[in-house]
Amino acid sequence: MFLNSVVLILQEILEAALLISILLVLSRQLQLSARWFATGMILGGIGAFILSVNLATISEWLDYAGQEILIAGIMIAVLGLLTLIGLYSTSALWASRHSLPYLMSICVALALSREGAEIVIYLGGILNHQESVQPTFTGAGIGAGIGLSAGVLLYFGLLSLPARWIFCTCILLLALIGGTMASQATLLLTQVDWVAYSPVLWDSSIWLPEDSIPGHLLYALVGYEATPSLFQAIAYGIGFLLVSISATLGYLNHFRSRRKNTGEK
Amino acid sequence: MRSIRLFLIAATLAVLTLFNFVAALQGYSSSLKEANKLFDQHLRQTAELIARLYAGHPIKSLDDESTLAYQVWRGQELLASFGIEHTQPITDFYPGFGHANFDGYRWRTLVYYDQDHRNWIITAERTDLRYQLAESVISHAILPILLSIPLAGLLIWLIISHGLKPLRMLSQQLKNKQADDLSPVVLPELKSELQQVSQSINALMSRLEVALNREKHFTADAAHELRTPISALKIQLHNLEEDISPDNEAFQQLRAGVDRIQHLVEQLLSLYRSTPEQLAHNFCRINLHQLAQEVIAELHDKFEGKQQIAELAGQPCMIEGDPFALTTLLQNLLSNASKYTPAGGHILVTVNAEENTVYLKVEDSGPGIAPEDYDKIFKRFQRLNNKPDGSTTPGCGLGLTIVRNIADLHRARIEIERSCFESGTAFIVIFTRTED
Repeated sequence: MFLNSVVLILQEILEAALLISILLVLSRQLQLSARWFATGMILGGIGAFILSVNLATISEWLDYAGQEILIAGIMIAVLGLLTLIGLYSTSALWASRHSLPYLMSICVALALSREGAEIVIYLGGILNHQESVQPTFTGAGIGAGIGLSAGVLLYFGLLSLPARWIFCTCILLLALIGGTMASQATLLLTQVDWVAYSPVLWDSSIWLPEDSIPGHLLYALVGYEATPSLFQAIAYGIGFLLVSISATLGYLNHFRSRRKNTGEK
Repeated sequence: MRSIRLFLIAATLAVLTLFNFVAALQGYSSSLKEANKLFDQHLRQTAELIARLYAGHPIKSLDDESTLAYQVWRGQELLASFGIEHTQPITDFYPGFGHANFDGYRWRTLVYYDQDHRNWIITAERTDLRYQLAESVISHAILPILLSIPLAGLLIWLIISHGLKPLRMLSQQLKNKQADDLSPVVLPELKSELQQVSQSINALMSRLEVALNREKHFTADAAHELRTPISALKIQLHNLEEDISPDNEAFQQLRAGVDRIQHLVEQLLSLYRSTPEQLAHNFCRINLHQLAQEVIAELHDKFEGKQQIAELAGQPCMIEGDPFALTTLLQNLLSNASKYTPAGGHILVTVNAEENTVYLKVEDSGPGIAPEDYDKIFKRFQRLNNKPDGSTTPGCGLGLTIVRNIADLHRARIEIERSCFESGTAFIVIFTRTED
């Protein structure tokens, strides 16, 4: 139970912590007020509670595929939000910048709802098994500690980069998280037969198992999978390109409007 | 990173947690391997013990609380068993360790062949019970590492806060310095890292003090020295006025030019006198309302010359201040109001008290100042193009700088808003009230 607990909590906390760290750095670079973070955390906590209470009912929907469809939906929504964040954070329009805190808040709230609900259900279930409580909660503490520490170090690591690299690195990391969201949503939809099975592209579990700490870190950061299917890889590429192309379009728009203004003067 | 302390505490704690917890996980994996070896050794010892003890008589049990199970077989005949109800062998008769699924559980098994009695002894243990036992022991060992993190966090916070104390003291000293205080920064205990910073700050302060003194004295000396020739010029102008027609245009311009120079010199001297070191020692209790009345009376000719109506409203209010400086402040505000108000316009001076403050409000019916220019007007030699034709009103641009200097010295703040007239500006100087 100890190791299971470490693995599950680490995976959930690490994903959320890395996403939040990157968004916090981006928000600081864009000189936005960090109030969106508190709002996102509170909404995420409420969302996680509501989702965990109703997940049993939800899982019975759509011929017992409700849970997978809902989680995949949340992941696709997070991908959509990351695409908009990429577009708006590079755009010159004041209105775009103005809406960024709302987008970041919703993005954090959705991510926390999903991760939090899984943690609440897991730890809640363990409470009925008295003999497993101590190892499980010790494992949860270890997993949460590693996940949060990695998030804090990523935050300070990004801030210590040369100023001109911080913004590009944040966008790149958001694009990688976007790819992970698309890939994981595809996996869930494959499990409920909403997406057809496709051949496994490679098996690197001998070199870097998914359940090792580097495996979890890479999963949360770049969506590492030891045995990815073809459709997962395609979805990953689409998710990555969506965020990176939207950020590039926003930048081009910014550049064009600046040149136009200079030309007019 | 806005706070060095926050960065150091968060980063140190994160590194400590990450490395400690990863090390704990590695420790957990190694301990689990060692525990499995111990359990396997126990299985072997039990099998050997059973082989030695078993001499044709069945052994009833090893230990009532044992998690182990065993079977003793001779050929296809089950001679003895413990912990298992079924009469089938738990696993195949191949000597050595292995795993088997039996009776709804996963088992770790050891098959041992006793050659002396030709018996097969199978000892087995449920893997879930094994893990539970091992996990309980190891997680108890890991728990203190987890619980020590908040304590480590508290200690790190205390140590870093203590370590950064000299830096905090240095910043506090600089923050608490008055605008005119250029004395060296002195720390009780100078750490080697801060030695260079402290030396550089003190050297900068010293250079700044010398430069400021030089500038102030140059301005004051130059203004003072210019007073005598300007007075001589005024006498010569007076003499000239008797010889030529007073309507002579060149003469009028010459007189206006000399008046401007005289005003500039007087203002430069006022600016010098409004510096902290010149004023700090002359504070006394003053009735601001009465002072305003005296200054309005003093400037009566100026208002009359432009047919302006100057009024005083409010009530007697006491403040702590320098009479000479406050007279200069009132003179400058009222002269400004008169200068920018067209002929026949209104100027209203109000002195009143509000809770713990006393305010002096000078309102005019001039063209007014655009809000974006509010900050600019207090800069030295700054004049605004506020005439309808875009030209500037004559002046040296020092009046409001002097007003701000004097207000700062009295710890008063200045606010600007629209006047109560149709157009125009209101300057409000807010002082701390002294009990009547």
